[in-house]
Amino acid sequence: MKPMPRQVILGVVAGLIVSVWAFPVLWALLTSFKTERDVLAYPPVFVFTPTLANYREVLFGPASILPNLRSSLVVTCSATALTMAFAIPAAYALARLRYPFKRFSGFYVLVTQMLPPVGLVIPYYLALQRLGALDTYSGMITIYLTFSLPFAIWLMVSYFEDVPYEMEEAALLDHAGRWGALWHVVLPQVRGGIAVTTVFVFLNAWNEFMFAVVLGGNTVRPVTVGMFNFISVEQTQWAKVAAGAMVAMAPVILLGLLAQKHIVKGLTVGAVKGGGRR
Amino acid sequence: MAHSPVAVIDTQAQQERRFALALFAPAFVLLLLITTAPLVFLAWNSLQKLDMSMPWLSGFAGLGNYTKMGSDPRFWNSFTLTVIYTSSTVVLQVIIGLSLALLVLQIPRGQALLRVAAILPIVLAPVVVGLFWRTLVLAPDFGLVDLVTRALGLGSHNWLGDPQLALISVIAIHTWQWTPFAFLVLLATLATLPPDVYEAARLDRASAWQRFWHITLPLIRAAVVMVVILRTMTALSAFAAIFAATGGGPGTSTEILNLYAYRTSFTELNIGYGSALAMVLLTLTAFVSWLLFRRRSSPA
Repeated sequence: MKPMPRQVILGVVAGLIVSVWAFPVLWALLTSFKTERDVLAYPPVFVFTPTLANYREVLFGPASILPNLRSSLVVTCSATALTMAFAIPAAYALARLRYPFKRFSGFYVLVTQMLPPVGLVIPYYLALQRLGALDTYSGMITIYLTFSLPFAIWLMVSYFEDVPYEMEEAALLDHAGRWGALWHVVLPQVRGGIAVTTVFVFLNAWNEFMFAVVLGGNTVRPVTVGMFNFISVEQTQWAKVAAGAMVAMAPVILLGLLAQKHIVKGLTVGAVKGGGRR
Repeated sequence: MAHSPVAVIDTQAQQERRFALALFAPAFVLLLLITTAPLVFLAWNSLQKLDMSMPWLSGFAGLGNYTKMGSDPRFWNSFTLTVIYTSSTVVLQVIIGLSLALLVLQIPRGQALLRVAAILPIVLAPVVVGLFWRTLVLAPDFGLVDLVTRALGLGSHNWLGDPQLALISVIAIHTWQWTPFAFLVLLATLATLPPDVYEAARLDRASAWQRFWHITLPLIRAAVVMVVILRTMTALSAFAAIFAATGGGPGTSTEILNLYAYRTSFTELNIGYGSALAMVLLTLTAFVSWLLFRRRSSPA
């Protein structure tokens, strides 16, 4: 059996990769159940009496992140819903229909996707300040659309392109009308794509930080900003930061793992197709 | 029968155009309002003297903010750091990601577990990643890295407090978080390559290296370039992880252009100069993406 040693080596290397990526996250999970004293034990303790005190503190203590979670939910869900409502029709037009300036409009969407966020947050800050709309949900949701909308349009385009033309043609010949063909024939075909795109948009919006920290305040304070509830100049409460991070990241980790196969496909559909489209 | 065939086709095309515009116009108008209009406002502000700590000095400054950059060492520092940070993280991600993908392709089982592990860093918020590294991984004495270096007799280091180590650390953080992206995309691309090409090459006694260089690489070139483009854009607009880990410090040693523009605008409240810095970053991003997209469409 010649291949055995080779496979063992490959296995060991693969194990190392897994641990490099998974270990910091698992270590944070472990830390979130430690007392602040156990966190700073040297050598580090793997066996300790687990405590839920950090989670109690993070959820119900004076610096609770529950209001932050609420903020994140409102901003992220609204932004995601609006994004999809605008992106799906636009992507269909880009993928399928002939109209003037089509190439330009596709390029325009691509360019808006590449804008550095700092270039947007500065004018938004000034404009929202003048409108008295700093620290409001409408202001925050608007700026979230700037990165989610172009992204969603391009991802949806790749799904619409996969739908066979014949299906639409048949529907049009049946006098279903263009709206009917889109609604009853094409959209059911891209249900999976819509789900994947929604997940991606949600993930990106949930994880956003720069817009949240600049344009937010006491009313709108998403959970990414809430991470700093347990960090002050005097001290960083490691175990509470870890527990807070676990709570804040639970939705995205769950979504990521549940939609695992689709996420890999989502990443590659955009990239490989984009790479092939010359 | 009233219409001639040409007229029917014509109205169909018109109908399609109207339909397309009805579908596309809302998103287009929205994008104009929420991205392009703010950028015009940014460009306008970059020509203003707009210092919120000294509002009485506000006024039109022409290109003053831009000429000021020439003699601003902090600007040149941040510019250099941006180039170093972007190029090193992208190169590392592609090399590590591609090597891992080639390796993992040969592992018959356990690929699923690897994918799960690879997805973890991608889905985490960069600000959380920055905080994890600042506390659990890189903290002196108690961080994971220090535990290892101390066990190996290399001693304890202030990974985020020492200017040179801090730059290496933030590069490591970014690479850790985003290499899985390159890995997953390239793994999926490699899995679609036709095996018969390799059989032929093996019969021709091509070495593993020759097979990689002459067969694999040309076949996955488009995907590699696409990964480079996407990763470059992310690196150029990296913010949250550095903000959480070092805040741009110590001093200005990890202050890439993005952080400099942010600090100038919102910590020092000099929004005019901050806008000009953001315009430079915007121009740099546009230039780099133009270069990369040209590369993508040119033959190998």
